[in-house]
Amino acid sequence: MRRLITIAALAAIVTAGTAREVVVRGSDTLLNLVQNLAEAFTATQPDVTVSVTGGGSGVGISAIINKQTDIADASRSIASKEISSARANGVNPVEYVIAIDGVCVIVNSQNSIEKLTIDQLGQLYQGKVTNWSAVGGPNQKVSLYGRQPSSGTFVYVRDEAVKGEYAASMRQMNGNAQIVEAVKADPGAIGYVGVGYAREQGIKILQLSKDGASYYSPLDEQAINSNVYPLARPLFQYTNGKAKGDAKAFIEFELSPAGQKIVEEQGFFPVTEGYMATNQSHLQ
Amino acid sequence: MRKTVVALLLAILLAGSVYAIDPGQSELEYNGWFRYTNQSTKLNITSPTASRSNAERNYLRAAHQWTAKLYSKLSLDFLSSSSYADGASVRIKEAYLDMATPIKDFTLTGGMQKVYFGEIYSWDYTHPDKELSDAQGVCSSADYGLTLNGFLPSGFGEAQVGVYNGEGYKVTGAKNSTSPMLLANLRLTPIAGFQVGASVFSKVKDVSAFSNGAPKRGAGADTTKFFNADTANRNRFAFAPMAKIAVGPASLTGEYIMYSYTRNYSYYALNRDSTHTVTDSTLTVSNKDYNMTGIDLMPLVTLMNQKLDVFGRFSTWQQKDQVGDSMPVNKVKSLMRYGLGFNWHFLKRAGGSKPAVAFQFAWIHEQSEALKPAPATGKVDPTDIFMVQFRMEWNHVLPAP
Repeated sequence: MRRLITIAALAAIVTAGTAREVVVRGSDTLLNLVQNLAEAFTATQPDVTVSVTGGGSGVGISAIINKQTDIADASRSIASKEISSARANGVNPVEYVIAIDGVCVIVNSQNSIEKLTIDQLGQLYQGKVTNWSAVGGPNQKVSLYGRQPSSGTFVYVRDEAVKGEYAASMRQMNGNAQIVEAVKADPGAIGYVGVGYAREQGIKILQLSKDGASYYSPLDEQAINSNVYPLARPLFQYTNGKAKGDAKAFIEFELSPAGQKIVEEQGFFPVTEGYMATNQSHLQ
Repeated sequence: MRKTVVALLLAILLAGSVYAIDPGQSELEYNGWFRYTNQSTKLNITSPTASRSNAERNYLRAAHQWTAKLYSKLSLDFLSSSSYADGASVRIKEAYLDMATPIKDFTLTGGMQKVYFGEIYSWDYTHPDKELSDAQGVCSSADYGLTLNGFLPSGFGEAQVGVYNGEGYKVTGAKNSTSPMLLANLRLTPIAGFQVGASVFSKVKDVSAFSNGAPKRGAGADTTKFFNADTANRNRFAFAPMAKIAVGPASLTGEYIMYSYTRNYSYYALNRDSTHTVTDSTLTVSNKDYNMTGIDLMPLVTLMNQKLDVFGRFSTWQQKDQVGDSMPVNKVKSLMRYGLGFNWHFLKRAGGSKPAVAFQFAWIHEQSEALKPAPATGKVDPTDIFMVQFRMEWNHVLPAP
């Protein structure tokens, strides 16, 4: 009997030792991309499981603060108060940029509008402009679609474009995919999604301008990398301290040529040299 | 003091005028603790000196995010209370407006709000019992006032400064004094895993017992005395440095509390002749005070993927020194406590920052000094307190209409 218990205990220890899992939580904008990266990574590392879930950037950052995840996905950078909470909890958030996103402003494909200035976009989302004709579109009521406050994209668009408060009439959707579906179905709709979600039939991506003189598409890599597109942003991952073990191997894969190819295939843009140098210093 | 109040009022006006109000999301939150407490001497738990079942806390919170920079919250606490025929009572614990300020990452909170002194600042009831300064009544747990709260750049820490009535949330209306309480908190996190900080508060003058300005006739043995309102001051001051070290799944949090209470007063004693006619009076100026110090240490280890918290606790609350007339001993009960406990988290909320459903157990061994009229030098029998508690918390965000 004692032998049996000993063997069972040893087996449990061995099994526990071989169960290698990397837990990733956070941004919905990054969800599809990181799931695809995880699939490709685990194909080369069959002993490792990468579990990727969404919930929003806020949830991911909260999870890294509370030691509930190995990697947090975030479409916004971590805030001062979050760093303070993390440090008090013995967590040192280390940042990596794994892709570049141009947040796409999308409308229904039947809408004749092609471009907006960032000020017009702000007026639309503040509810100050309620008919498309006021910004050069058809005589049609505007329907606003956006994300929930736990979303990094919600915060990013509010801070960079809306520059005020979202209109109460904005419908807060659970994820990028839901926004795309809603905009497809509503001729008066406007929404915002990560570039990886915007290449679909039934929607149109608008060009945006900071000054009303030059308009740029979020599909234009040069415009994104040169930061002339108004809603270009890095997409982040955070670890507690410098990444180690399988989490480090996974991030290294994400930043490798193979990983960055998947980034492009998913519609995002590869990490620029400056961010890559910072990433490498955080990995060493 | 007047300048401080004016500055805070100006800050409110500024914040209020900068940010337009638009309707937005609302949030409902419930926070309930159902507790059984068994208190006994010599671990005689089958013949306890106290055996209580109660809904220790039933917070129902309704919050509204008017804009990203304007937020309000109302918290009602439905709690067990043997003072009422139906065994329950309700009280307001929070009713405030929170406003962004022009200072990045700083907000201004106005209204009835939680008052954070000492470790209560970050006390999340990992231990089901109260934080030491809260348990000893150093400072009210909630009060009416204004607080500027904020985070330092680069996650270096956080700071808070506030001005409150100082009498606590249970004292309202005409019973409030006009002398405010000042409170400040600073927490620094220079490196991951190390936090250091301090809390300080001062209630310089509290004349609430004599609020109408007229002399008050003493009670009991003091019926021949008429207390002079103008000199009746009750001054309270407390300072509590703290530190926290967190390494991996373990942390150790500690604080040292210094608390002083001074009561200055004067009274007229009436002198009477043999026919009991008042002939004159004698003015006496006096004071009473006491000083306390306390230590609260709590080691904590979190195990099994954050499902299990195992904690210990060591606390002391000691009379430090005493000058002038002593205060009643029942205000300066000295005690030493230690104990152990655990929490089992059935569920945690998204991100793991807050519990959803948890079971809590704590054992507390308390050795205290005898209260009057027992001999001051005598120690009472040690008390053992067992707390078992189910804790349930949920929140639900309601979309904008």
